[in-house]
Amino acid sequence: MTSRRALSLFVVLVVVACVAAIAPSRAHAVERTFSASAQVDYFFVPTEKGANARAIGLDGFTTEASFKLAADLTDHLSASAKLCYGCHGFEADMVYAEYRVRDELAFRVGRFSPSFGAFNLRHDVANHGLSDKPLPYDMGRMLRLRSWNMGVLPSPFPDNGLEVNGTHWFGESAQLDYAAYAVSGFRASTPALDLDFVQSRTPAVYYVDNNSRPTFGGRTALTFKLSDDSDFTIGASSMYGTFDASNSLTYAIFGADLSLRIGQTNVRFEYLARRQDFDTSDPTRFKYALASQHGDFFVKHGAYVEVDRLIAPRVTLLGRVDGLFRVGNVEAGSDLSRRTGVGRATLGSLITIDRSFRIKASAEVYDFSDGDAAGRHVEVGLHVATVWTF
Amino acid sequence: MRRASRLAFAFALVASLACSAPTAVRRADGIDASTLPEAQRADYAVFAQRCSKCHSLARPLDSGIDDPGWWASYVARMRAMPGSGISAADEAAILRFLTAHQGPRR
Repeated sequence: MTSRRALSLFVVLVVVACVAAIAPSRAHAVERTFSASAQVDYFFVPTEKGANARAIGLDGFTTEASFKLAADLTDHLSASAKLCYGCHGFEADMVYAEYRVRDELAFRVGRFSPSFGAFNLRHDVANHGLSDKPLPYDMGRMLRLRSWNMGVLPSPFPDNGLEVNGTHWFGESAQLDYAAYAVSGFRASTPALDLDFVQSRTPAVYYVDNNSRPTFGGRTALTFKLSDDSDFTIGASSMYGTFDASNSLTYAIFGADLSLRIGQTNVRFEYLARRQDFDTSDPTRFKYALASQHGDFFVKHGAYVEVDRLIAPRVTLLGRVDGLFRVGNVEAGSDLSRRTGVGRATLGSLITIDRSFRIKASAEVYDFSDGDAAGRHVEVGLHVATVWTF
Repeated sequence: MRRASRLAFAFALVASLACSAPTAVRRADGIDASTLPEAQRADYAVFAQRCSKCHSLARPLDSGIDDPGWWASYVARMRAMPGSGISAADEAAILRFLTAHQGPRR
């Protein structure tokens, strides 16, 4: 993180704030909301003996914070800016304008996380009960993250582009949501073996697309109100694009999700899969001989089931089982094999100390199908975090 | 085989959490409904159930906003959020509660 970049992001936020402050009032005064959240997490890996766990994950303290400003400029037009601070410094998580014609038709343009999956709406640390994200959406908290190159779709995934979305209610009991978008898409340097997520958030290669072709995607979801205190949502998402400069390598991501809420209990399930082309011009870069057919891509699957339940006024209990499964060739020297998987079980609690101040604590057990250099398959991680919202 | 057993155990643990007997528990990030006027309690129940689906109740309750017009536009925006589950009837109840509890008369 350079001071110049931090200054740039700060200036963006200030400019948005100033525009919101001086924009002329029309039907009503300009309405602004400011919100923020922060999480300080301590991650301890007791099973990593004789070495710093940093070799396999981001242990120790990490801080994630976000500051969001939204302004309703007119009855239909709003502007939002969200600045985040995380492991890799300051980021513009969103800077966009939204024009809502009606509930069924809205446009947003700028930098935002396009509509994909159910977790996307809860990616802020204040809105999910465990310290880290489910493995399909992991962005650097999982153990052996470098071997795996994180999850299927590391969240959040802000990008530049345009989205058309809407929602429609059928009476009082069913809600249909839909969205379609065109964004810059993920990137990688040539010759590429996988997406390079760092390129999506580094100013070194600029915040512009590396090719002329947008990534397209969409999402649709249907929510049913089962009773006054229960509802059920089923959704599907997809995304397709090219990620190399010559538009010859493609990626396609598919997602399906289910969630059920009964009273103060939430049950969530999501499945994601990414089919990823890779460059095969140099066979020596691979661990295995290239297959003559279908040897130029891999598929990474990910899924999680998560349950959270309020068991006392101040205590929510959470359980989660998640995993990744990757099929396909890997880079020479990789710890991974052609078919490799990781499963994880997490048990945690969310304790409300004050209305705006909570403590997260969790323990997680990883089970890797491929052993490390010492032949070990199982790792244990412990998280303790504090979260503020205001 | 051991790996499959461990995974099955973890699934069983999570499933038991989901399937245990439901209890009515007041959220500590909300308000003790018994302290509210009788007329607000039903609306508060809708507010607490719907708004806690995506975020802590501290967000709206600690916002300091007391402008009914602001709440009207904000709740309308929340209703349009994907999967909000906030129907038109819910929106009216949530708005009644917020304007009564967070309004200028508070």
